[in-house]
Amino acid sequence: MDDIEELCDKVISTDLLIVGSEGAGGHAAIEASKSGIDILIVTKGKIGQCGASQMAGADFNVDGLAGKELGFEGDERDSPDLFFETLVREGLYLGNQKMVEKYVEYAPKAMKDLMDWGMKIYSYESAHTEEMARGIISSGILWVAAIRKKVKELKIPILEDTMVIDLLITEGKIAGAIALDIISGETILIKCKAVILATGGWHRAYPFNTGPEDLTGDGVAMAYRAGAELISMEMVQFCPITMVWPPKDKGSIILYIISEVDPFGKTIKLLNNKSERFMENYDPTNLEQSTKEIVSIASQLEIEEGRGGPHGGIFFSLKHTRKRFMDMLIKVASHRIKNEMKDTRYEFTTLLPELLERMKTEDIEVGNGAHYMGGGIKINENTETSISGLYAAGECSGGLWGAVRVASACTEAGIQGKIAGETVPKYVKSVENSVINIVQVKEVLNRINAPLLKEDGTTPNELQQKMHDISGKKVGLIKNGKDLEDGVRKFEVLLENDLGKLYIPSSKNKKLNFEWIRSIELRNMLTCLYISTRASLLREESRGEFYRKDCTHTDNDNWVKTIVIKKKDGKCDIRFEKPIITKISLPQGKLTYQEAIGVATASLKRD
Amino acid sequence: MEKKNTIKMKCFRFDPNNDKESHFETFEIPSNGAISVQNCLVYVRENIDPSLAFFINCRLGFCRRCLVRVNGKSCLACTTEVKEDFMVEPLLKEKVIRDLWCDGL
Repeated sequence: MDDIEELCDKVISTDLLIVGSEGAGGHAAIEASKSGIDILIVTKGKIGQCGASQMAGADFNVDGLAGKELGFEGDERDSPDLFFETLVREGLYLGNQKMVEKYVEYAPKAMKDLMDWGMKIYSYESAHTEEMARGIISSGILWVAAIRKKVKELKIPILEDTMVIDLLITEGKIAGAIALDIISGETILIKCKAVILATGGWHRAYPFNTGPEDLTGDGVAMAYRAGAELISMEMVQFCPITMVWPPKDKGSIILYIISEVDPFGKTIKLLNNKSERFMENYDPTNLEQSTKEIVSIASQLEIEEGRGGPHGGIFFSLKHTRKRFMDMLIKVASHRIKNEMKDTRYEFTTLLPELLERMKTEDIEVGNGAHYMGGGIKINENTETSISGLYAAGECSGGLWGAVRVASACTEAGIQGKIAGETVPKYVKSVENSVINIVQVKEVLNRINAPLLKEDGTTPNELQQKMHDISGKKVGLIKNGKDLEDGVRKFEVLLENDLGKLYIPSSKNKKLNFEWIRSIELRNMLTCLYISTRASLLREESRGEFYRKDCTHTDNDNWVKTIVIKKKDGKCDIRFEKPIITKISLPQGKLTYQEAIGVATASLKRD
Repeated sequence: MEKKNTIKMKCFRFDPNNDKESHFETFEIPSNGAISVQNCLVYVRENIDPSLAFFINCRLGFCRRCLVRVNGKSCLACTTEVKEDFMVEPLLKEKVIRDLWCDGL
């Protein structure tokens, strides 16, 4: 057995490994530290400077009564039950109601933690402009700074710039994981009793997205390889009004954010390349104030039917307003941002005034960027996955949201982090360390080292290009069966054929080798894309954020069920599962997409 | 119409494992629309030399780890627009791990 210690460059033992350090992972670590167990955080970047949390708006949600109890204005008309009902109904009934109940119950607890840790709050308002006021507004930067400060204060051990490659499972239980120090290139064997995955989404698998570089679906893909169940992988949210041009600003959602704020919201026009206000054809009553889903789909239909701009978007326009009005907007916005909020974010302090100035004479090209992964590793209300000792929290998990991410993902990260931090120590104290399987360790190391040993084949850049070509064309916002079938076949080829041909032409040195890291990430991104496309092909309907041009009805007779996928004998094993019900029964009947969205998401309307 | 032209990026290169001393390499970047220093670096890595080491993550000024020197001045690579030929160097030459990536970023 001594052998095992020599296979990796370093060996570390701990009770609990937390993969990810931000909104979900950091929160989990702080909560779990109360129990006295040994914890190690491993994060792909630096704490407070990686993942998607830092980039969040950020709004947190609690029900209006809890809001009042936390010392905000709140909303006395509201209650936890009403909040629960909104989440289930607007999620079009696919959410696990036990998880939704826990979300509502823990939202104020997680919020209180953040306030106790010193997170500054800008305001209390209706963040998603719900019927009820449920939004507490801060910023991603302030959120992660508070978590970072607390983690440092508690002296929780952390390995930064380190990527976890794979989980090690012995007799169906977590035994450890293998990690890679991105800077030194050293491999690390981590022996542990439990793992919390808090690795976020797989945004970078799409050519146009709103996420940071490090979101490559690592946690979801390694959980799948380890045999864990994934759920609702077809639910990928695209954010409308994301900047597609110029390259410097590509992926910014600043214009989407301001489109939700008065007086911008009521003033903007979305135009196609014929300068037509196309929302008149899709939702003549509400126009640009229609639901987020309708605005996204309308924009994408315009683009796909050849009425888009030169860079694949449509146009965000304020040119019709008077110069005096624009000057007033610029003045008010910059006063609020600089003096009242004292916000330091580049998008608000620099980019927004620059764009508003430009918009006096030109329109800005915007489109739908891959924004949030609604599905992921299947967990229950206690964040437990289908593997003993494996837990997941935040965006990499699945089951909470139905077909729409109705409320705050920041709150999701916090509550699931907190719940995992409470749950895992009990498990850790009840089990012994599992023996690491040397064959598994060798397999993982051989697999990641293979591209370094080859002299020719496919480069990571080439494979990334191929992947983006398919994900951009076949599994975008508007899907159809034919493209999805083609996508499944093409991703299969990349996974089974091209991945094995990967080689690293630039350097065989493991130190800070970007191409090598990318070769590992590509396997993860392709795994997520493949499973997401398989699930999308199965769901023969449209529901919430999931839209198929060839099946535009929301089919409550056949499709109020979730798609659960796991790896079995090297292949996808698929099953369907009815959402878990606690209070609200599941609907029946077929509705048009607009009817279903209109009825279900009244509160998602932009006013 | 957008102007299409080329920007020359004079880029600091140094691999302490193989090089005795640092040197500069000039890359030509096609520019079409407003581009950042980071857009230029990504262009090189994806089209010319995948071994170029630099930090990239959020791309929009949040993480503040992509600090470099452009024409001698420290700035974030992702939010700094370039309109003409420029020189890019690491923030701290004495702390270079490779190329533009320094220890402590």
